[in-house]
Amino acid sequence: MSKALRQAPWLIFLALLLIFALAPFEWMLVASLKPSDEQLIRGNPWWPDSPYWTNYTDLLASHTFQLWLANTALVMISTLAISLVASLLAGYALAYLDVPYSRGIVVALFATYLLPQGVLFLPLVTMLSRLHLLNSPLALILTYPSLVIPFGTWVLWSFFRVLPRDLIDQARVEGARTRDVLLKVVGPVAAPALAAVLLFGLAIVFNDYFYAFAFVSDESAQTLVAAVGSTSVDISDSGFLFAAVTIGVAPVAVLCAFFADVYARGLGAGVID
Amino acid sequence: MIGVIAYPLGLAVWFSFTDAQVGESGNFIGLANYVYLLHQSTYADALRNTAVYTSLSTVIKAGLGLLMALALARRFPGRRVVYALLFLPFVFPVVIGTVAWYYLFSNVHGGINYLLLQAHLVPDSIAWLGVGPLPMASLITVNVWHGTALFGVLLLAALRSVPADVLDAAIIDGARPLRRFWEMVVPYLGSALALGTVLSVVGTFGDFAIVHLLTGGGPANETTIVSTMAFQIALRDGALGVGTAVVLSIIPVYLVVLVFVVRVAGRQ
Repeated sequence: MSKALRQAPWLIFLALLLIFALAPFEWMLVASLKPSDEQLIRGNPWWPDSPYWTNYTDLLASHTFQLWLANTALVMISTLAISLVASLLAGYALAYLDVPYSRGIVVALFATYLLPQGVLFLPLVTMLSRLHLLNSPLALILTYPSLVIPFGTWVLWSFFRVLPRDLIDQARVEGARTRDVLLKVVGPVAAPALAAVLLFGLAIVFNDYFYAFAFVSDESAQTLVAAVGSTSVDISDSGFLFAAVTIGVAPVAVLCAFFADVYARGLGAGVID
Repeated sequence: MIGVIAYPLGLAVWFSFTDAQVGESGNFIGLANYVYLLHQSTYADALRNTAVYTSLSTVIKAGLGLLMALALARRFPGRRVVYALLFLPFVFPVVIGTVAWYYLFSNVHGGINYLLLQAHLVPDSIAWLGVGPLPMASLITVNVWHGTALFGVLLLAALRSVPADVLDAAIIDGARPLRRFWEMVVPYLGSALALGTVLSVVGTFGDFAIVHLLTGGGPANETTIVSTMAFQIALRDGALGVGTAVVLSIIPVYLVVLVFVVRVAGRQ
């Protein structure tokens, strides 16, 4: 069999998989270009008869949309900053400092990551309500890192474990303080693992619905994703909703998608090899 | 970590032994919540559905992901872009994706029925979220849409660690190509497959968005899973104790499954 012929079944498979993966996105784009009252009532759901830009102009004028974007950015940036710093410090400490029971701590951390979100959300709702934090983005900023840090620590720990120790010992001999070692030696070297944790955290925050939905029900305090999934966006407002997704969510997702390799290598670092 | 994981976990265990309602702490009632659950047919449904949903989704994702990795391991123009586009459903918010799928599964003007009707493949529109096995199949479809790429990228990264000559020898046509592939290449993929499976089981098991948004557990609890049942009992009916008991009662089974997966993969 010639090479081209042998390639063919694989390429056909990829084409089919691409259609499956991308069809909902095409549909969403079309939905954002249709008047909401036409949705599911007439016309081709896969093609706009004539692009209806009003959804986009409404969106840009909408105060609520700006609030959602601001909330999303606030929650996202805080979660990622907290998680990255905590994971880096924890991973470093567990790998290099003589922490008693370090291996047990790593296993315990990984185990907490495996805990289904469903187990924690009820007690968390109760706690947050006692602290009067329900309906505030702060509820999410406090809880999301708990979903990212265990896994992040584990990724960084497994990355540091295989890193030659000399690197740090040498810096120490030269008189560097821990802060400098972290910032100038370990940080840059760990960049790929940190990038993987960043992407992982981003995907967690982006994908969460459980916490966002259970902790925050005020429209003005919601993140974009929760707003789209909750009843505060009337389903009859679908055109507006998918325009919001196209502008507010899709660009970030596409950007992340191009870093798939970083994600896979970072996650695999400790496991594969 | 103690504040947001250990303490709530302890609180969850305590709730499950009390008759706590939302907004008021209850009294200790021992195992009454768990005994109550054992007599609920909804609980049995939820357990069965969770098992079906988790296992079928994971197996399909692993299979498609392996094929995706093998296909992407080849050289062809535009490979990088195809790779990124296939990864997109995984980094895209699953909630929004699910809302889109809800419309695709919808009536005559839903995306799927529209195409089927235009092509005259079916006489009437199909109720994808209606009755019988279709709603569960629809849930699994959305789960597979979202999660296949995770297996794909992990396995692709692992494939790169397979020595080129082994890969060539395994792929070159000959007697029993499948068996040779199984014997020569799969051992290199064990740990990636295990990581993917663990992440998928955790994600699917704890999934709330897809089921809650697409079917809400209906019709008649046919697609209720553990997390949607806990949500309904605890937050809609206000019975915190029973709600947490639902989730906690399956943790042992869940741990056994995870340990099993890790062991099997570790042996390869």
